[in-house]
Amino acid sequence: MTHDRLKRLDAFLIPILAVLSGLVVSVILVLLTDTPPVEAYRILFVAGFGCNELTRCALFTTLERATPLILTGLSAVVAFRSGMFSIGQEGQYLLGAVMAAWLGYAIQLPPVIHPLFIMIMSMLAGAAYGWVPGVLRVKLGVNELLVTIVLNAIAVLFAEYMVQFPLRADAGAVAHSPVIDASAQLPTFLPGSKWGIGFVIAVLTAYAVYVYLWRSTPGYEQRMAGQSKRFALFGGIPSDNAAIRAMLISGALAGLAGSIEILGVHRRIMSAFSVGLGFDGLSVAILGQSHPLGVAIVAILFAGVRLGAQLGLQLEAQIPRELGGTIIGLIILFVALRKFYEGNLDRLRDWLVRRFNRGQARPER
Amino acid sequence: MALALEMKGISKYFASTDVRANDQVDFAVEAGEVHALVGENGAGKTTLMSILYGLVRPDAGEIKVDGQPVQIHRPDDAIRHGIGMVHQHFKLVPSFTVAQSIMLGMEPNRGGFLTPNEENRIVSELAERHGLPVDPKARIRDLPVGMQQRVEILKVLERKAKILVLDEPTAVLTPQEVAELMRVVRNLSQAGFTVIFITHKLLEVVRVADRVTVMRGGRNVGSKAVAETTVPELARMMVGREVLLKVNKAPRQPGPVVFAADDVSVTDVRGFPAVTRVSFEVRAGEIVGIAGVSGNGQTELVEAVTGMRALDGGRLALNAKDATSLSVRQRRNAGLAHIPEDRIHVGLNLETNLDENLIVSRYKLGQFNRAGFLNRRSMRDFAIDVIKRFSIAAAVPGGGISRLSGGNMQKVVIGRELAGEPTFIVANQPTRGLDVGSIEFVHRSLVDARDRGAGILLVSVELEEILALSDRVLVMYRGQIQGEVDPATATEEQIGLLMAGAQPETTAPTA
Repeated sequence: MTHDRLKRLDAFLIPILAVLSGLVVSVILVLLTDTPPVEAYRILFVAGFGCNELTRCALFTTLERATPLILTGLSAVVAFRSGMFSIGQEGQYLLGAVMAAWLGYAIQLPPVIHPLFIMIMSMLAGAAYGWVPGVLRVKLGVNELLVTIVLNAIAVLFAEYMVQFPLRADAGAVAHSPVIDASAQLPTFLPGSKWGIGFVIAVLTAYAVYVYLWRSTPGYEQRMAGQSKRFALFGGIPSDNAAIRAMLISGALAGLAGSIEILGVHRRIMSAFSVGLGFDGLSVAILGQSHPLGVAIVAILFAGVRLGAQLGLQLEAQIPRELGGTIIGLIILFVALRKFYEGNLDRLRDWLVRRFNRGQARPER
Repeated sequence: MALALEMKGISKYFASTDVRANDQVDFAVEAGEVHALVGENGAGKTTLMSILYGLVRPDAGEIKVDGQPVQIHRPDDAIRHGIGMVHQHFKLVPSFTVAQSIMLGMEPNRGGFLTPNEENRIVSELAERHGLPVDPKARIRDLPVGMQQRVEILKVLERKAKILVLDEPTAVLTPQEVAELMRVVRNLSQAGFTVIFITHKLLEVVRVADRVTVMRGGRNVGSKAVAETTVPELARMMVGREVLLKVNKAPRQPGPVVFAADDVSVTDVRGFPAVTRVSFEVRAGEIVGIAGVSGNGQTELVEAVTGMRALDGGRLALNAKDATSLSVRQRRNAGLAHIPEDRIHVGLNLETNLDENLIVSRYKLGQFNRAGFLNRRSMRDFAIDVIKRFSIAAAVPGGGISRLSGGNMQKVVIGRELAGEPTFIVANQPTRGLDVGSIEFVHRSLVDARDRGAGILLVSVELEEILALSDRVLVMYRGQIQGEVDPATATEEQIGLLMAGAQPETTAPTA
């Protein structure tokens, strides 16, 4: 079945086409500035992905910034693949971060044990926050999308309260918590960026999520229940359990993202800590075709474009860095148009199959 | 009499579900008559009417209203040509008043400002003119279903419809409301309106219609004057099949009881009783057929038996063990197999591949489950084995299944369900929408399973299928077993009467 095999390529073709379309349309915006588009994209790329010397390497910073995106993206993947449209990554991420910032100075443990314990606690906090919409969905039929929106708002305010009062370190202008103990900090690889163990954890987690969803029986249950509730019911798959399990795992992954961001990058939590990394995870998951490999690639791309816009376009070319966000927005817009690509790719594929399989048996309709 | 409506050569093919919903349908309605359009679910009557009302674009065919060819692309066009439709599920806004609902989109106004009094007056006059009294100021949500339907009819009349299409109008009504609707329909016909009455309840046809058209499998199988036909004849036209199916099978050798339902009651999705106090047994080595016009509780009964729907009352026993509150998985482990009526949405998951589809009811078993991980090699071996045993030529191990034909999809379902040598098999409409070759395969598989010693509960609205396969036949009507007949001696007429709700051993009701 040539058709089936070609169809599998779509997972890669569609994001690539979307990215190209987004870049092409962004040219219109670049033309409004004085910089020639090719030059602007070169600056963007060098500032986002370039690497001249090891200690001042943009690529490493990009990888550092991709870390929480990978994890929140995986969080969204687990929920989406299990039929739960949860956008609660932001709230779960914040709870994980608050937990990490607190335990980072409030308890004393030996190195290695300390961050491990904190990451587990952050995952539990995120999982608990994911459990709420899951159980409401299963027991009462409440739409998980609405519940997670509300829970996100609560988590933002809760985190802000914790920073302003219980965890506040001093009376400085910007409220922040005490710096976490050295024993709790996650090591970084090279000076000049916070790229470190956290990134390795994120990549290993991406592989673990893939194995779990596609190779394990609980993952099979979640995917089947997510793809067709009635098929799951028919086959005896406990889809309610699968949905709650999905939300627990999804929450834990977002909580882990918050934990690593504190332990590996900021080393404390400060006022207005939330910059939408949880929501970016949603975009990453959608752009990455809800697949762990796609998420890892897209998260790096995403972080790089943003860094390139910030450091390259803004500082070097005096183009507002919001262009980076605009490019990403356009790319997501084109991914949302995947039906357009699918329709045309299908037509192209049918044409190719017809052309090259002439005389051979047609694939069954 | 002149033809109010003529539809010629209407064809419609739905590629997404691979269904030829209408196949060269000719349909003619005389002015001023009540014309019943009957057929099973899926026979194509709703598609035909959706084409008439501009909701569906036909692939071929033409439509004439009052002898003039017309183009109907949208409901607006239909309304302009005097065609009005009352949908089975009303399209009303609960918070609106009756008058607001009827005048929606054509509200009387003075310089852009609404004039509610004028609106109420117009509606009162309209209601009076047609003898359909309503309170224009009442809110829709406060009205009983019968009154809401009356609002829908008035809405159509206000838009100057001459041809009224009523889509299964009695499905949601109480018997009293049905009687009232029948009176309304007769009155409208006397006042010169043409009424097309879609139903699958044959007793209603003889009560209200002048003429009747029967559809089956997307084709018009005949139009008759109601006075010249009988309920059993209509039933036969509805469920009959062109190809006479003959299945060679040995005499049954009934063994112990493999399944027993005792006093079982079930409610449907909307909470109405669908199955009321049904009891029956299935023995090893026999096929028990459940005949009946669709929508008489068969779906709910099957869901209850297979564990997909909770019982309201009664008990189930599987292989002499109580199964009333067992989960789907427990029942399947106890020897149940289920061939569902909807293979595309229930029996299969088209979004995943063949291997994963085949293990849905047994992924927890040691064969496929290695310490919580899927054993992909034995999944693949199993897929290869099923493909070979059930000769599913078009399927590929590890390949997608969404592009398989209906017959091959059903082979995948049957291969999965019969592979485990089940002791009790529930087959609901196992040949719906299949071609003759696939039908023979399904029938052969079921008879083989019976001869191997499985007990089979076969639910079908195809009377010939029931008669060809079953060792015993139960007829369902309105959620109850109306009677049991011996397929060897029973006539189609006898069963047709039971299907239409007649008591056993009585004569046909008179029109």
